[in-house]
Amino acid sequence: MTEVAEHFRPLLGDNRCLTDADSLARYGVDWTKVWAPAPSAVLLPETIEEVQEIVRLANEHGIALVPSGGRTGLSAGAVAADGEVVIAFDRMNKILDFEPFERSVTVQPGVVTQQLQEFADEQGLFYPVDFASAGSSQIGGNIGTNAGGIKVIRYGMTRDWVSGLKVVTGKGDLLELNKGLAKNATGYDFRHLFIGSEGTLGLVVEATIQLARKPRDLTVLVLGCPGFRDVMNVLHSFQEKIDLTAFEFFSDKAMHHVLAHGVARPFDTEAPFYCLLEFEGDSPQVLEDAMGIFESCVEKGWVLDGAMSQSLQQAEQLWQLRERISESISVYTPYKNDISVTVGKVPDFVEKVDAVVQDNYPDFEIVWFGHIGDGNMHLNILKPDALDKDEFFQRCNHVSRWVFEIVQKYNGSISAEHGVGRTKKPYLQYSRSAEEIAAMKAVKAVFDPNGIMNPGKLFDL
Amino acid sequence: MKVLVPIKRVVDYNVKVRVKADNSGVDLANVKMAMNPFCEIAVEEAVRLKEKGVVTEIIAVTVGSKAAQEQLRTAMALGADRSILVETDQEDVQPLAVAKVLKALVEKESPDLVILGKQAIDGDNSQTGQMLAALTGMPQGTFASEVVVADGKVNVTREVDGGLQTVALDLPAVVTTDLRLNEPRYASLPNIMKAKKKPLETVAPGDLGVDLASSTKTLKVEPPAERQAGIKVASVEELVDKLKNEAKVI
Repeated sequence: MTEVAEHFRPLLGDNRCLTDADSLARYGVDWTKVWAPAPSAVLLPETIEEVQEIVRLANEHGIALVPSGGRTGLSAGAVAADGEVVIAFDRMNKILDFEPFERSVTVQPGVVTQQLQEFADEQGLFYPVDFASAGSSQIGGNIGTNAGGIKVIRYGMTRDWVSGLKVVTGKGDLLELNKGLAKNATGYDFRHLFIGSEGTLGLVVEATIQLARKPRDLTVLVLGCPGFRDVMNVLHSFQEKIDLTAFEFFSDKAMHHVLAHGVARPFDTEAPFYCLLEFEGDSPQVLEDAMGIFESCVEKGWVLDGAMSQSLQQAEQLWQLRERISESISVYTPYKNDISVTVGKVPDFVEKVDAVVQDNYPDFEIVWFGHIGDGNMHLNILKPDALDKDEFFQRCNHVSRWVFEIVQKYNGSISAEHGVGRTKKPYLQYSRSAEEIAAMKAVKAVFDPNGIMNPGKLFDL
Repeated sequence: MKVLVPIKRVVDYNVKVRVKADNSGVDLANVKMAMNPFCEIAVEEAVRLKEKGVVTEIIAVTVGSKAAQEQLRTAMALGADRSILVETDQEDVQPLAVAKVLKALVEKESPDLVILGKQAIDGDNSQTGQMLAALTGMPQGTFASEVVVADGKVNVTREVDGGLQTVALDLPAVVTTDLRLNEPRYASLPNIMKAKKKPLETVAPGDLGVDLASSTKTLKVEPPAERQAGIKVASVEELVDKLKNEAKVI
């Protein structure tokens, strides 16, 4: 094991070429915790030149590299369980340049997402990609997975905010992609190939990120709806008049768990479904519109009750109802699926999936929540107390096949924002055709001919 | 039983305030404003007393600009029956002036109880309730963590150093609310709509015979000094040396 590390030690020294058990265990695993971490070494480069040299050495000696950011992934994309070398960007964590005129910021890949959000805030601007793990995840990882989150309905995915990328390919070449340009019609845009490639093509070593203007007076509504289709009607009604910055939904079961976790109830009325919507309440007109839409939704029977934030603090508190669901159900060892279909197909899709799971496993509790405004749902199956963990996961894997068959039928995605990594690799064909997967492999061969970049993730060669 | 609940419009708790470049005050341009959190607790307490059948009418009142109507509407959405805006464009009205306005309103409305926040998060003065009690001669129970009304008295449990103190006050009385008194509810959308139809009366300070002129003047507002970056020391000896000779804490 240590032999592998010796190839890199002269370049990085002992402090940045780690082989101690603690570091190997820490850097070899992400939030999935299914595979036991077993990397050969952890490398901490500080410059682009060092990254290039690492890639050159890895090619020369046939060593697999696993790129590593905050390791908050949920698909085991950053797991090193087979003696790979982890290349972690913790020391390339500087904000390099800010261009007020372009509203862009150039960062190293190890900058933590929240650090970028805070930097933008200090400049009077806004970095809109936001999700629960923003305090730990790194920009390089966000780019590698094309991270989404809670504001996608208004601001899109990470992809939409990257205007320039410097990457070191699996071959060792340094490519400067798009260079921060807003318009650039000069052939293939490799930037978008690297975004979401899960480290299988190369390594992001620098990124130019666009920033948005700050949203004003974010206002949150939480509504209770009698049926799932009503939630969709509410979404449609609001979107006709108001630019929503978020539209989330959760079931009564999710609400039950999050209330038991100590979050305050939004209103007394109980409802089978809830939605949380957010918009800029910066004018009396928009607030008036929101009230009007609410009133008409109540009249049509789509909404039973609702509450509205009266301060930014209350807006934040109401968000807890949605943001703390994951942690409130974590004690039940949930089996998670992150799936999407186009928004219009959501109600039929959810009905079908619900029926399949209930019919086959009536003892399973299903907790639905998600970014319904983007057609993205998190399907969580809770482990019944009596069931053994291994058996539970085995049965859930059967469920996954059925669920993914429905996903395929509805032209959906088996992984909306969590990536493929190792956990979703066996199911890729439900979302991608054989021809597409063959083309992906051909692309990989161009940038990573020796297959050293994150092998065993996304697909097997 | 009638309750008067004075509230204040302040910079939203979640806003990071910035000092104006000329050091004349805090920059309020395009800053989100909201009801002072301690006032929310006061409104909630009044509403709970009403729900218990102790209170029959809740009147919310504020001293401020026309924009403060927003917070009065919120108070009415939470359960206040009507409200009064004592309108002024004067910024930074001092606690004594507010207490004088409230005294005039107490004389006009004759409430049995005045419940207000123990302090506002902008000025952090914690004076208005006490001054009102002094000006009107009403007994006061400040920093309340529990309020019980019974037999013409109000029992107020106060958070004091080293424990809790319960005082029994004859009505009418002044109660100021502390953080742990209750957890305010959210304004429900149906109630927000109903609140639009509740009466909101606007009066001028002059109508109440009060002059809001301030007897104090703000000379300069400065942000707190920025924290210096830390350093790494090489050894325990160096740390001890620095603590002794530089920081002079041991």
